[in-house]
Amino acid sequence: MKPSHTLPWWYGGSLVVALFTLLPLYIMVKSSVSPPHDIFTPNPTFGVSALTDAHWKAVLASETLWPPLGKSLAVATWTMLAAIGVAAPAAYVISRLPWPWKYGVLLGLFASRMVPEVGIALPIAVRFLQWGLVDSQLGLVLAHLIKTLPFVAWILVGSFEAIPVAVEEAAEVDGCDRLGVLTRVVFPMALPGVAVAGLFAWLESWNEFTYALYLSLIDNTLPLQIYYYITRGSWFDSATYATILTVPVIVVTACLQRYLKAGYLAGAVKE
Amino acid sequence: MHRAVILLLGLFIGCEQAPEPSHNELTVMMGLAEVEWRVMREQVFPPFEHQHQVRLRGVQAEAPDAAKKLVAMHRAKRMEVDLITQDVLQLAPLVNAEVMEELSAYREAIPATALPHLIEVGTFDGTVFFMPYRPNVQIAYYNEEKFRAYELHPPQTWPELLAVAQRFHAAEGVGRVLVQGTLTPNTTTQVIEFIWAAGGDPLVLNDQGSVEALTFLQQLAPYLSPETRRADWNTVNAFLATESVYLARNWPFGIHLLVQEAGKTQIKAHHGWRGPVREAHVLGGEVIGIPKGARQRELALEFMQYLMSKPVQETLVSSLGWPSFRSDAYGSIQAWQEPYFAAVQEALTQAYPRPQLSYWGQLDRALTGAFREIVYEGQPVQATLDRYHWELQQGRQHNRR
Repeated sequence: MKPSHTLPWWYGGSLVVALFTLLPLYIMVKSSVSPPHDIFTPNPTFGVSALTDAHWKAVLASETLWPPLGKSLAVATWTMLAAIGVAAPAAYVISRLPWPWKYGVLLGLFASRMVPEVGIALPIAVRFLQWGLVDSQLGLVLAHLIKTLPFVAWILVGSFEAIPVAVEEAAEVDGCDRLGVLTRVVFPMALPGVAVAGLFAWLESWNEFTYALYLSLIDNTLPLQIYYYITRGSWFDSATYATILTVPVIVVTACLQRYLKAGYLAGAVKE
Repeated sequence: MHRAVILLLGLFIGCEQAPEPSHNELTVMMGLAEVEWRVMREQVFPPFEHQHQVRLRGVQAEAPDAAKKLVAMHRAKRMEVDLITQDVLQLAPLVNAEVMEELSAYREAIPATALPHLIEVGTFDGTVFFMPYRPNVQIAYYNEEKFRAYELHPPQTWPELLAVAQRFHAAEGVGRVLVQGTLTPNTTTQVIEFIWAAGGDPLVLNDQGSVEALTFLQQLAPYLSPETRRADWNTVNAFLATESVYLARNWPFGIHLLVQEAGKTQIKAHHGWRGPVREAHVLGGEVIGIPKGARQRELALEFMQYLMSKPVQETLVSSLGWPSFRSDAYGSIQAWQEPYFAAVQEALTQAYPRPQLSYWGQLDRALTGAFREIVYEGQPVQATLDRYHWELQQGRQHNRR
C-alpha cells in the first residue's frame, strides 16, 4: 500500500506514461477515420475535425483483409495452445529439478535464442519448404514455436517454482493421486503464469514477420499485409489495417487479464 | 519420418498443408500496388490464360523479399515461382546467388524497338539473365503553389536548384528542398545522378566530376530540409503531401498517391535538372526473369514474350501510365496523368543504367559514407573522396582475388 501523500504523483506519472504510450495509437486510429485534407496539411489538428468511414469501408470490403486476418488469428491461437501444451509439463518437471540441473536446462533453452532470428530463418525456411510447408498454417505454427517455446518454458518454470512442494504433499495427504495433484492443484495455481505465457506466445506469433515472409506466397498473414500497404504507400489503408491489427490484441489481453492475479498463493501453506 | 511427424501435428492442430500448384497453373511474382494488380488480373492475365488454358497465380513480393524467397526455394530445391519481374536495381543478388535461368538463347525474343539500356541491365558479363519489361526513372516533384507564391520556377540547372533552396530557406527559416539522405541505396542512387551530371564516374569517386558533385551537395547542405536524413523513396511522398518539403526527386509511383489519394493536385512534376556536363538519371524499372527449377519453364517463356508484346505494353501505358520499353508501343493515358507522364518520358531520354557490379555493396558503402562525411559532417571533399577511392580499390582487388 502506497502512502497517501505519494498517490497523486503515482497516478500522475502513470497517466503521463499511459498518454505517451497511447499517443501513437491515437494518431493511427485518427488517420484511419480522417479525410485526406485533415491529415495532409502542414499543421494537422490534434483532435478529429472531420470524420470519414471511407477508408474502413474500403478495407472491410477488400478481399485482402479477411483471409490474412483469419490466418493470423488461427496461427497465433494454435501457437499459443501448442506452446502451453508442450511447455507446461516440461516446465513443471524443470521447476522440480535440483537447482544446478534446473538452471542448466534453462540456459540450454535460452542458448537456442542466442542466434539472431535473421541468421537462422533462412536455413529453417529451406527445411520447411522441403517439407512442403509453404503457405500452410502448420508451417507457421512450427516456426513460431521455435521463437516462443523457450520463453514460455522460462515463464512457466518461474510460475511452478513459486508453488510450494508442501501444497502438493498436502493434496496427496488429502487423497489426491499424482495426476490429480497436477490437474487439480498445481496447474490451477499456476494459471496466472500460464496466462502470461499464453499472452506472450499469442502476441509473438500475431506480430511475427520473418518466418511469415519466407513461408508465405499467396496466403499472407496480417503483418505481411500491413507491410505491403506501408511499402506500397497507401497511407489510409495502412492506418486502417494497423488499427485492425490491434483490435484482437486488446481482446485477447482483456480475456487473459482476469487470470493475472497477485497474491494467489497467500495462505496456501502454514509457516 | 518427417512427413509422419508433420501429418501427426497437422491432425493435432487441425490445419493442413497448402495444396501443390496444379500443372495448369503459372505462378508469377511481382511487386505491385493494389491498383496495379487489378490491371494485371483484369486486363493482362485473361488473354494469356484463355489462349493457353492456364491459370495465372500472382504473388506479391517487394524486390528484396523476392530475392530472399527465391534463394530459400532454390536451396530447398522446390521452386514455387515460375516467373518474376524484378527491380533493375536489385538484380545482382539474384545473379550472384545463381538462382536465375540463363536466357541468352532467347535474346532474339527481345523486340527490335526495345530501349537498349534496359537490355544492358539484364546482361551480366555477356550473359542474358533478364528480359526488358518496364523502364522507370526518378522525376522532380514540386509544389506549384509554393513556387508560385515565391515567384520561382522549377530548377533546370544546379545553380537554379541552389537558388531555389536558398530562397525557400531564407523565406521560411527552414529548408524545403530535399535529397534522399537516409544513407541507404536511396542515397546512393541520387549521389550517382549528381556525379554523372558533373561528368564524373562513381566507380572512380575522386575524379573531377565526383569532386564537383559532392562539392555542390556540400554547398546545398545548409539549405536542405531537415527531413533529408529521413527521406527515402517511401517517406518522400509523405513529406511532399504534408507540405513540409516543396521540391524532391522520387520515383513516379508517388504520382498516384499524391494526386489521387492525398488530393494534392498542386504537386506537379518535371524531368529534373542538369549538372555542369549533362542531365542524368539512374535507369530504374523492372525486367523479367525465370528462376532455375521453375516447374512451368516453357509456359513461363511464353508468358515472358507475352509481357514484352506490343498489346500488353500498350495496356500498361494506357491503364497504369507506365512508360513502355518499346518505342513502338503507344497508349492513351488519362488526362490528369499527362503532365507527369511527359516528365517521365523526358527524364527517360537522359537515363543511364547503373553498372552491374559484384562489389556493389562496397560501392554503396563508399558513396553513402562520402555523402555522410561531406554533406552532413562538412569534411573536406577531395581528401574524403581520395580515401573512399582507395577503399573502393582495395575492395575491388579483394573481390577479384
